[in-house]
Amino acid sequence: MFSVTPGPHAVWVEGVTFTYHGAGRPALRAVSFAQAAGEMIGVMGASGAGKSTLAKCLNRIIPEFEDGDFRGTIRIAGESLEHLRVCDVAPKVGMVFQDFESQLFSTNVAHEVAFAMEQVGMDRAEMDRRIIPALEAVGLRGFEHRDPMSLSGGEKQRLAIASVLALRPSVIVLDEPTTDLDPEGRAEVFELVARLRAQGLSLIVIEHESEELRAADRIMVLREGEIAADGPPSEVFARTDLLMGCGVRPPGLGHALKLLGIDAQAESVEDAYDAIVRAYPRLAATLVDNSADSRAPEHPTNPENASTGSAFMAIENVSFSYGDGPRVLDSIDLRVEAGDFIAIVGQNGSGKTTLAKQIVGLLQPATGRVIIEGKDRAQMRPAETAREVAYVFQNPDHQIFAATVQEEVAFGPRNFGLADDEIRRRCDEALEAVGLLSERQSDPFMLSKGERQRLAVASVLVLRPRMLILDEPTTGLDHREQLRMMALVRDLNRAGIAIVIITHTPWLVAEYARRVVLLRKGAKIFDGGVREFFMQDELLRSSSFRAPEITELGRRFGRLALTTNEFVAWVKARA
Amino acid sequence: MPIYLYIDRGTFVHRLHPTVKVFALFVMFWSVYWVDNPLALAPVGLVMLWIAQLTDSWPNFYRLRWLFAILVFTTTIAWMVFYRRGAVLVDVPIFHVSRLSLVFGIGRGIKLAELLAASVLFLSTTKIEEFTYGLQRMRVPYRVSFAISLSFRLVPLFIDSAVTIVDAQRLRGYDFNEGGPIERVRRYVPVVIPVFMGALRKANNMAMALEARGFGFSHEPTTFIDYPVTGADIIAFAFLIALGTLSFMLYWTGLGGIGPLK
Repeated sequence: MFSVTPGPHAVWVEGVTFTYHGAGRPALRAVSFAQAAGEMIGVMGASGAGKSTLAKCLNRIIPEFEDGDFRGTIRIAGESLEHLRVCDVAPKVGMVFQDFESQLFSTNVAHEVAFAMEQVGMDRAEMDRRIIPALEAVGLRGFEHRDPMSLSGGEKQRLAIASVLALRPSVIVLDEPTTDLDPEGRAEVFELVARLRAQGLSLIVIEHESEELRAADRIMVLREGEIAADGPPSEVFARTDLLMGCGVRPPGLGHALKLLGIDAQAESVEDAYDAIVRAYPRLAATLVDNSADSRAPEHPTNPENASTGSAFMAIENVSFSYGDGPRVLDSIDLRVEAGDFIAIVGQNGSGKTTLAKQIVGLLQPATGRVIIEGKDRAQMRPAETAREVAYVFQNPDHQIFAATVQEEVAFGPRNFGLADDEIRRRCDEALEAVGLLSERQSDPFMLSKGERQRLAVASVLVLRPRMLILDEPTTGLDHREQLRMMALVRDLNRAGIAIVIITHTPWLVAEYARRVVLLRKGAKIFDGGVREFFMQDELLRSSSFRAPEITELGRRFGRLALTTNEFVAWVKARA
Repeated sequence: MPIYLYIDRGTFVHRLHPTVKVFALFVMFWSVYWVDNPLALAPVGLVMLWIAQLTDSWPNFYRLRWLFAILVFTTTIAWMVFYRRGAVLVDVPIFHVSRLSLVFGIGRGIKLAELLAASVLFLSTTKIEEFTYGLQRMRVPYRVSFAISLSFRLVPLFIDSAVTIVDAQRLRGYDFNEGGPIERVRRYVPVVIPVFMGALRKANNMAMALEARGFGFSHEPTTFIDYPVTGADIIAFAFLIALGTLSFMLYWTGLGGIGPLK
């Protein structure tokens, strides 16, 4: 039984169990832990493990807002939350949600920060005193009169944090605050988290990426509503089997050390490098010879030079602007061949989605043209294009409407007037490919986010396109679901479908893509092989895109490795 | 793409007390309501043109130009079909083109355009917070006034989401333009359901975020911005009373109707 006295703790949770109304099993099961004042706890786990449920319990959204059976005790700074309303807890526990659009209510930044203070009835003079320090804390000083909607994703999320900081709560809970952000936005938010921690705030951060939580004091891993692990990051991250069993991606560096049989912790690339050199001194001796590897990739793959066949899809000198606005695409040329696997990367607003919409015909170029199978796409209707090039939107909920999974998938072929037998055959084929055949009679709205994402793929796959564009296909998915999604995409590519993914995730690019297209302010500034891309230090830096840590570690040894397995195999071969 | 109509400028209209702005919206609606004659609608129209120029709200009118055009055109045409008084000027099937139906149809078109223009001007010059404050000062409970003003923020988000959903379904080969008018409406089911589900999810997220920020803590929340009543507010208030009275007098004397133009 949990037996820590509640007095000095920022958060004290004892025996908390919560079962959502109508659910067969509890979402949280007898969870107990204590958080010391000024401590930062990182909470990890697969989707459905209970992370967000726990966060909502800490500010009484559960059980006040969500219907279900709640048991247990929660104290904040020694005070029990029992019988308090969510709004009563707001001054004690600041909560920042994943969906930043839904937590901004005002028309200027200063007013947004004042919103919570207005709600608790604070006088104007005190509000005035608190607004600037709160904005300063999140690096938004000088933005007071800006419209929150005009801010970038990272700035919006920092503003949401400023607005809870203004109430000066003793605990701040961040529930996957960077899921919808690009690498620059993620970096901004985690730099802020580090600053808040340095100021002594008690923080609970829910996050999927283990690398981001290395600086935490403790990592708590949840599995099916229970605490599966709780300890310092060095200890928890060393348990790679447990992490993977819980649907958490272990940090690449720690995983590599474990596979190499090195009993050491690595909190940075330097740590991992030192540990490997200590274990394999011969590697250090060969460094000079190997450094050539990082300049010359094993498989240089500049597709424009290496191209052998004719392009399945070609974009020729396409430029585009929304209305009278600035150019969103600027003289873009791009060729996609059958069997290509391309990752389009770039900061938010760089033109990635606009480019995809040009390909599928949702937008028309101001200049230039898009050629699909030798035909000018301007002469094709969107429905006609859909049979050649399919587009999976970032949010699967933007298309799901049918009562069953089967009907949802059959919607496309029905629009093309296919016979019932043919529709049934194609639906079976598509559902089999995405692993949802057994769910054919299920209600699509009851599926998990990962399953809904795969359903969205099946819904366009059923049209048997020759090219598939996926916009951020892994956003909001846990590691297990991400792997499953990407295994599906890889299988489709092996079956001959050209794949284009729009992504912000470096390890996805490294492990799955064969070619990278980098956009910046609507212009294509890189188009080449993945290895070549990850060697362009200056390009990566200026685009706020980082190579995976394992790639950086490999380069310290003069070897450009894209995956942990590739790096480990290379070390073992050399050592 | 900006999805709100508010244009941040420092004109005296922008600086008016929120209560005066909400009252102005009410007076505009009131003034338009009482009169039918295009000439009688002219004073309110001129005031709106003056405010649009003063506040430089033209970009919003430009964005909504097609809505204005369709509204005025279809209303005028529709009333020329249904309003069958007066001697026929031109013998056209279905349409009853008389001097009276023309005046009445054009009057109705202008009336709708003025109602829409009043809303555009209000939203171009009034922040959501001011709207809430203005309603509160008019004794509307805080929760109700906040909900009304928040709905203005949500509508553009839902429209944005509906546009994406239409795109997603078109890319699955769906043609929204097949069939007659009823069939066309029915064909929007694959859009309505995802929009509705998305709206429920968004509303739920927003409600949680609101409560987590203390919404409901106090029945009388304080306000960060001070809205002092100035001389301009008093002049504007007097002007609005005069405008509202003028419109009512036009109705009362019969000058606002279409009768005198017979």
